[in-house]
Amino acid sequence: MKIQIVYTGRSYQIAERLPSEIDLSDGAKLDDALHAVNQLLSDDEQLPPSCLISVAGSHVGTLASHEDQSLKDGDELVLIAPVAGG
Amino acid sequence: MRAISLSPEELERYDRQIGPGVLSVDGQERLKNASVLITRVGGMGGPAALNLTMAGVGRVIIAHGGKMISPDLNRQVLGSESVLGKPRAPDFGEYLRTMNRFVEVEVIGHEPDDADAAALAARCDLIISCPPTFEERLRLNRAAVQAGIPFIDAAQWGITGTLIVVKPGETACLKCLYPEPPPFEEFFPVIGAISSATGSLAALEAIKILSGSGKPLWGQMLTYDGYQGNVAKVKLSRRESCACCAGV
Repeated sequence: MKIQIVYTGRSYQIAERLPSEIDLSDGAKLDDALHAVNQLLSDDEQLPPSCLISVAGSHVGTLASHEDQSLKDGDELVLIAPVAGG
Repeated sequence: MRAISLSPEELERYDRQIGPGVLSVDGQERLKNASVLITRVGGMGGPAALNLTMAGVGRVIIAHGGKMISPDLNRQVLGSESVLGKPRAPDFGEYLRTMNRFVEVEVIGHEPDDADAAALAARCDLIISCPPTFEERLRLNRAAVQAGIPFIDAAQWGITGTLIVVKPGETACLKCLYPEPPPFEEFFPVIGAISSATGSLAALEAIKILSGSGKPLWGQMLTYDGYQGNVAKVKLSRRESCACCAGV
């Protein structure tokens, strides 16, 4: 199945060279998708533990704290690295 | 028929924002009777305070410590080169007063600590949070949740901005999202245009909430990634064990 990925917030620049869609086997779950994304990132591009995760428009936690969940074909996974500039 | 508390001069001033699709007269009166705390009033809080002042929020309270330095002037719309090296809050307050004589502008020349934040929240109807650290943001969030008033968090980095709109007791609060504060980055990059855009959107949400017009972004995070040209809207989930809003 295909999952759309949006990298935004503090880490928006990495989206320039990363695919906006990844292919996962049927039955894959959120952590499988996050693992696949992680494999695409170099050491200095790693997303912070506080990075927010949204699946299909709903927030499900942070990289450090979330529950694994099923994904379905076409889901959009949004990764929002926190920003706090004033 | 109920008397209108807006003077003819005020009705003339707000003529372009009263009518179908914008504010009702009642909504404009609600703005007049409202108090909003904005802290800080730099890149995002400045435009937020300016827009709320121009829109006619009755009392605009700004809080910001420190002196103006040159690198701030790429985004601080309330300032000018004449403020360089001076405490910025008094000048910012004076500028706001020149924009709308019908609005009371209160200036606090430092960032609120826990006690200040709680006392200010108790006499405000809404808080807009624009500081550079999550500690300050979480402090303001806590004060708003304890006072039961809406809280709008605006943040930026580079060419991206985010907005979170909290209704205490009903939606996720900032602490639900970040149980531990993410690290502080003092010298973050930023382009002033994203600061102004994000601050203006924060003001717009405040105007909608206070006036009763439109649909506020309750419980959502709006992200505008100006670099990619992407907009994302995420429905936020409350954390049952949230140290700030659980049980509220």
